Amino acid sequence: MADKRKRGDRIIRQRPDRRANRIILMRSLFLMALFGVVVFIPLFFKLWQIQISQHDYYQELAVQQQTRDSTVTANRGTIYDSQGAVLAMSATVYNVQLSPKDLMETQETYREKVEDAQENGGELPDYPEPTDQFVAENLAAILDLEVEDVMKHLENKNSQYEIIKKRVEPEESEAVQAFITENHLSHGIYLMPTSKRYYPKGSLAAHVIGWVNPNLGEAGEGAYGIEAQFEEELSGQTGRVVTAKDGVGTELLYRFEDYYDATDGNNLTLTIDATIQSYCESIIQEGVEQFDVQDGAFCLAMDPNTGAILGWANSPAYDLNDPWTITDPVLSQYLETVKNDPTASEEAYRTALGQVQNQQWRNKAINDTYEPGSTFKSIVLAAALEEGVVSESDHFFCTGVAQVEGWTGDPIRCSDRDGHGDQDLAKAVANSCNPAFIEIGRRLGAEKFYNYLEDFGFLGPTGIDMQGESAINPVSAGLIWPRDSFGTVDLAVASFGQRFQVTPLQLITAASAVVNGGHLMQPYVVSQITDADGNVLQHTEPTEVRQVISEQTSERCRTILEKVVDGGTGKNAAVEGYRIGGKTGSSQTLKGQDHTIVSFLGFAPADDPQVVILLAYDSPKPMSPGSNYTEDLWYISGGNMAAIKAGELLEKILDYMGVEKTYSASADVVVPNLTGLTEADATTSLKKNNLSIRVVGDGDTVTGQIPAKGASIPGGSEVVVYMGAEVPTDQVQVPNVIGLSVEQAKKKLEAQDLYLKASGASEFGSSVVAYDQSVEAGTSVDRGTAIEVRFTDSTASGDGL
Amino acid sequence: MVTKRRRDLTVMQQLARGPIDIPFLMLVVILTAIGVVAVFSASYPTAMNEGLNPANYFIKQAGFGTVGLVAMCLIAKINYQTFRGLSIFVLAVSILLLVLVLPFGYGRSTVGAQRWISLPIIGGFQPSEIAKVGVIMYFAARLSKRNTEKHKRLPSRHPLSGIYAWLDEKGVLEPIPYFLILGLVAVLMLMEPHMSGTILVLVGGASVLFAAGIKLYWFIGGGALAAAGLWVIMTKTSYMATRLAIWKDPWNDGMNGRDKGFQIIQSLYAIGSGGLLGVGFGKSRQKFLYLPESENDYIFSIWCEEMGFVGAAVVIILFILLVIRGYWIAVHARDRFGALLVVGITTLTAVQVFLNIAVVTNLIPSTGISLPFFSYGGTALMIQLAEMGMVLSVSRQIPAPKQE
Repeated sequence: MADKRKRGDRIIRQRPDRRANRIILMRSLFLMALFGVVVFIPLFFKLWQIQISQHDYYQELAVQQQTRDSTVTANRGTIYDSQGAVLAMSATVYNVQLSPKDLMETQETYREKVEDAQENGGELPDYPEPTDQFVAENLAAILDLEVEDVMKHLENKNSQYEIIKKRVEPEESEAVQAFITENHLSHGIYLMPTSKRYYPKGSLAAHVIGWVNPNLGEAGEGAYGIEAQFEEELSGQTGRVVTAKDGVGTELLYRFEDYYDATDGNNLTLTIDATIQSYCESIIQEGVEQFDVQDGAFCLAMDPNTGAILGWANSPAYDLNDPWTITDPVLSQYLETVKNDPTASEEAYRTALGQVQNQQWRNKAINDTYEPGSTFKSIVLAAALEEGVVSESDHFFCTGVAQVEGWTGDPIRCSDRDGHGDQDLAKAVANSCNPAFIEIGRRLGAEKFYNYLEDFGFLGPTGIDMQGESAINPVSAGLIWPRDSFGTVDLAVASFGQRFQVTPLQLITAASAVVNGGHLMQPYVVSQITDADGNVLQHTEPTEVRQVISEQTSERCRTILEKVVDGGTGKNAAVEGYRIGGKTGSSQTLKGQDHTIVSFLGFAPADDPQVVILLAYDSPKPMSPGSNYTEDLWYISGGNMAAIKAGELLEKILDYMGVEKTYSASADVVVPNLTGLTEADATTSLKKNNLSIRVVGDGDTVTGQIPAKGASIPGGSEVVVYMGAEVPTDQVQVPNVIGLSVEQAKKKLEAQDLYLKASGASEFGSSVVAYDQSVEAGTSVDRGTAIEVRFTDSTASGDGL
Repeated sequence: MVTKRRRDLTVMQQLARGPIDIPFLMLVVILTAIGVVAVFSASYPTAMNEGLNPANYFIKQAGFGTVGLVAMCLIAKINYQTFRGLSIFVLAVSILLLVLVLPFGYGRSTVGAQRWISLPIIGGFQPSEIAKVGVIMYFAARLSKRNTEKHKRLPSRHPLSGIYAWLDEKGVLEPIPYFLILGLVAVLMLMEPHMSGTILVLVGGASVLFAAGIKLYWFIGGGALAAAGLWVIMTKTSYMATRLAIWKDPWNDGMNGRDKGFQIIQSLYAIGSGGLLGVGFGKSRQKFLYLPESENDYIFSIWCEEMGFVGAAVVIILFILLVIRGYWIAVHARDRFGALLVVGITTLTAVQVFLNIAVVTNLIPSTGISLPFFSYGGTALMIQLAEMGMVLSVSRQIPAPKQE
């Protein structure tokens, strides 16, 4: 400094002013410190804060806006039945999306084109101006929407994502695509691919499969049944494509791209067989109509040896493709009354609709519990036999009323008010005799009885791989008595299946153990899980929970239970040629006197059970309050309702499963081919098949026969053999046999050269009458056709029909 | 010694031929080079979006940069004493231009303010840029002679002569002419309006006044007045209130950060995603039409994003070195004019750098101030470099240290 000033003194003409120069120096140095150092310090702090401390925060926000994260929907797995038929599948459909912002630009472009054409004399665009109104009207027409609604979407001018309709069917999306192409609207209207769940078989196994609620999650989530239970397996892993975009949304190609492949969901194969399932469903539907059933019905079919569920039907049912719509006639009718009720508000209707929807989605056979009633006697029987407290030689005497120590209510009556009198064990079971079972229960004792409740799996969930099984202990839920308060009276009523509740699934699982050799199996509906490439990921092996009773006891139970169908309360379930065992039941419900659940627990063949069914109708409507009959004069009981339908069902299932019929003397036989045989040979051949011969004509060899070869006719019937004589080829009319006894029906049919094939009630007495024939009266059929006629024993109903 | 070999030159000429300050020159060249490169990276998405050659802005900026550096060297060769005489003309021309820009300028449609004026050959530029230099030059020229200036006195009979003399002695009267000039320029610029330019002109002028030795109470009082004014504007007017609200929380602009807070949010995204080392040169994503003015006022945000904290710190340190070297030149300047001129230019540059970076990092509410050497803009860069040329010119006359 000194140097500078000295030189300054010498060279600069300006007069030196040390004080002024010092001020300039000091102040410059102050400015240097301030603007050269101090002000920049906060900048470093601020930059450190943003770039280092909050780096992750800002980076995440920046990446969020800079990238377009498009999801690649994984294909939801397919659900197959046990035979490989598709029950549920996914297909690509489109969401129709509007971008009012882009559309505005398109409209701008159009106006520019028009202006350009007007100024430069070029051609006007050959398509109409894409005004909001034009777009809204056309889209509304294609997609069946309200024009105003579409206009409302279009008014959100800043938006680029206005989905106006989700998951449109292919015809609609194609129409939209055509509209876009014709009117150059590819910048403004978009079709975004997404997937939709289809159920090719409609309502089949609705409660088992469940459905996907498209409103949940990105690609929809399973709402009920297997779809919900196996959501994880089915949904797969949604993939992503991350692309960079610039500030106005244009994709920056090759700049920044990441793919995360979608993993398709796994496929499930169910144990449900669509055919058996459809049998179950039609049986309950028929029954519901036939018996005026008010509160639905359910039917379970299980392979007793594995625990695999073969059929699982509930009523009311619904269409899986449209789960919100009420299709069940009973429910629709109820809804209609609410709707038409002038006092009911809109709110009330919506509440009712919600209730009814829940009702139709409900899987009664697992969600609901009921008093098993007499069907439970099969379990008590097994326990008593296993414990050796009863045997086939024991006799029980029924007076019609049972005395139970400690019982304070009305005397417990047997179903037969006059009493069954003396009966052996099998007869007691066949009669479903309450006093006898109270005695059996007493002999078993509360302790052991309760042990068997536990062993047969009534005190816990079955562990089925199905949505809806309550994990709540039935004891704490108040459905079954606690062990320490299970007294004599409880034991007495429990012995005939009342005053406690079980799920239908628990009952059929326990019943399977009774007849399958004593093995309590864990029921299951999913037999196999495969990935999208078909690799088996999981195969369900039957799981035995425990052996409850011995093989021998099980066999004894089968024999006794077969007698229930063979002449007992379950005789209406009998099917000629099949050995069916079972137990009927009529359960009281909490809903009151006129609400009875009539059920039938059956298995077949009785010597080697292949299928166990539990069929129940909830509350057939009595003709008048307190009556035991329905409008159509069906006596309300398991034996008169469920057993009839169960017989039909078992026959169908066994036929389908290829279980051969075993014939007794009058059982059906197949007519052999007799053509070309001599009379002697033909006679021998027929005799082998339990048939007799009637010869027409005098040729050497057989030239024709009625019925034709392969026809199935009752054993002991006559086959007409034509030897040279011409075979009559004209048809005959089937007579009406409804209401006739077996003999009368047979005669009437034979008069027309037709054969009677009787089924249903097996003891053909005067009280047994035909109520259904396989070929309607008046139909023309070939001579020799066997007409199947179903008989019912109306003894219990005490009426002619 | 130079003087001995160049006998045919006058002392003045000999002095003007001294070596220019190499550190300052290098810092200017490095910063200009980095700035042009930064423009290249930051501007090409904008250029592409406008349908231009992606390198369009880069080529222009590089051209201006080159021309500017040449001009800087030429100006550095001029004996800065020449600027004394020129200063009054520069100031007069800039005031004239500031007047002319009001009816003849343009910019209302793009930025909502009449800031640019187009002249033949030179093209479009902001008169405020000239005004900054004009004010500093004129103030430096006049204030350098303040101790030799004759103090005006009122006739002794004048009733106020006593007070006048007292006021003059206390230095109250001295800065008033400067204040009037500043006031005129400020009013003209506020009519455009050009708030940030006004601030810079005031800061430039004030720095010269401060360094020249104007009484401190003026600055204390002025600072207090400015603070009070700022406080009133911030709290009492709705215009600043919204700005202030956005400064505190950019997302709170009534449109969830998509309206007035948008730019600062985008700037923060850019800076924040840079992290320590940045996403890499040229790899900014925020420049793809997210950050408005990414090649201009907000170019530093893109730089931060691409080069990270380290890159940002390097640039700031270069600016700090430039500023410190500038003040070093000022305190070593041969005369007071040189010192005051360099103080003014250096302070102006420093404040501009500070304000720009403070705005893009949301340290202070936003004002539209460009970053010297970085922000895109040809004439601004050229004027900037011309100013640096003046500093270098002053540096040439720094007496060499005595050889021991």
